[in-house]
Amino acid sequence: MRSLDPLAARLTLIAALIALAATAATPTFARQARLDLSKPEDAVKAARRVQCSLADEKPVTFTWRGGVMSRVPGEQDRHLFDVEGMNIRQCQTVTDPARGYGWKMVSRELLIYLDPQTKQVLRTWKNPWTGATNDVLHVANDPVNQPPTFTRSVKGEPYQWNGRKIKNQIWQTIEVPLFYTNPMGGAYQEFVGGQYQAVEMFDFFMDEDDLLDTARDMRSVTIAWGRISQWLPWMLMGDRPGVLVFTTVGKKLDDPKNIFPTLASEIRTNYPIYTSPPPVNDTRPNETSWTFFKKVIDAKKGAKQ
Amino acid sequence: MIRCATSTLPLAVLLVGATAAVVTVSAQSKRLDPANAEDSLKIEQRLSCSLEDGKPAYYWFPGNVYSRVPGERDRLLFRVHGWSARACKTFNDPVRGYGYRAVNRELLVYEDPTTGQIMKAWRNPWTNETVEVMHVANDPVSMREPVFAKDASGKPTPRPDRGFVLEGRHFNGGSAARLYYKNPLGGDYQENIGGWYHAMEMGSDSLTVDDMLDGSKRDLGRRIGWMRASKWLPWMKMGDRAGFVYYHTAGGRVDSVEDLPEPFKTEMKTTFKMWLSAPPLDDTRPNMTSWDQFRRLADGQKKPQ
Repeated sequence: MRSLDPLAARLTLIAALIALAATAATPTFARQARLDLSKPEDAVKAARRVQCSLADEKPVTFTWRGGVMSRVPGEQDRHLFDVEGMNIRQCQTVTDPARGYGWKMVSRELLIYLDPQTKQVLRTWKNPWTGATNDVLHVANDPVNQPPTFTRSVKGEPYQWNGRKIKNQIWQTIEVPLFYTNPMGGAYQEFVGGQYQAVEMFDFFMDEDDLLDTARDMRSVTIAWGRISQWLPWMLMGDRPGVLVFTTVGKKLDDPKNIFPTLASEIRTNYPIYTSPPPVNDTRPNETSWTFFKKVIDAKKGAKQ
Repeated sequence: MIRCATSTLPLAVLLVGATAAVVTVSAQSKRLDPANAEDSLKIEQRLSCSLEDGKPAYYWFPGNVYSRVPGERDRLLFRVHGWSARACKTFNDPVRGYGYRAVNRELLVYEDPTTGQIMKAWRNPWTNETVEVMHVANDPVSMREPVFAKDASGKPTPRPDRGFVLEGRHFNGGSAARLYYKNPLGGDYQENIGGWYHAMEMGSDSLTVDDMLDGSKRDLGRRIGWMRASKWLPWMKMGDRAGFVYYHTAGGRVDSVEDLPEPFKTEMKTTFKMWLSAPPLDDTRPNMTSWDQFRRLADGQKKPQ
């Protein structure tokens, strides 16, 4: 947020006074203090509340749903797939003597491709450009972990809340343009191309009171997630021009049982470990769809030899 | 950009989630029924504007614009402020029953991501030419005709719901308007030599089901996201160069222009005064797109042959 409006600041003060007054009588009430986004430590805690919970090792599930379009120069965009995704995570407090309060997150993430007409999980897909029928590889990334965020940066700069506000609505957006050596590519990508190129775009929307009142975990967080990437490796599109555009909406779930039925059934059948996050002391490198696909392909190649 | 005709897409999936709740709510609470044609139209109207004739609804959705050029990291080109000012008029037709039409003006103003100033000129990093920036200022972007609760034969036709309900919230999104048509700036032989207009627009929104069906509310706040991927903008003078631009924005409904940050607020009050209000309710002018706008401007600058 750029700045807190005076009313919000006053409410925060009142909340703080009430909390302060009540502390003597009921020590537990102090934990219900209202966060002040202009304070670096509170801002770090607010960011943690959006993503998971202030309680350590408490599993939290996000889920989202949408579509995938192709964009190829010279033809109308095509609606190729629908998708359903989920991420199950937990956070842990990490305190650093110099950098202060912090938190880290560990998670697992799934994204399954559905037929846009029948809404059934795709096992194979007929590529309309090549005519070939390909095996579909859903995104199953374990782990997708995030290093700690602290109250102060390495240089000592205080953490700043990043968000916008209209009345009692707050939202955060971020874009992450990615351009790096493709794990499936060769050693000379700088010379012959083949780098990984994508962008991920996130929106997190929330009610202000829900964010600032730490008495309970947040229930108002909704999300939009978009992505523009090269063709997926399993589409076997090689160097053909064009990109994929993902667009989805979803929510931080109050109850993981409310996950979309098709996705829930797929998890039960094929991805049972995605019912819990990785352990908080997980140190494995992150998995991406490209590293995962490489493992699958390499395993297949190995089996054939 | 948000389109009156497509941005609000009530209900049918909602039925599944909402029907049970509707039954338990007492009749006097004026809860709207999405299966009822008139109610479904009113839900849509309240999402877009208001049941009150001429009451303006303003939307603000700030965000970022990036380039995607194969072989280089995506570049942040502009910050952007989206704005829509709309109002509705209610109709009552002897055959077609209850109806409404929305009239609308839209803006998309480019801001320099480094200086934070409204852009007048832009140095194109690929051609090194400095070009004049043309903000999107479309007037009008309105519904051509009113929509009614009944078809021409008098049969009630509830509005389709392309969204879904999750934990008490209704979501729209996850699909795209895939635009591909003869470019108004192109010649007569686009089928033969190319040059088509090619873009994808992705709107999303969410609000609580309780708000959506609460018949006592005449208009509704909601969280919105808007994304777009399109060819280079005409004023960038990129011609046939490979690549495209994409927009990522999010926001919601604001009470007035006073809720906007500077320098956009001042720009609205000076350069784009007309966009502070919706067009007249009986406006019959044809809709305008940025490409039409550019053509008008370019033609005006051209010397008569």
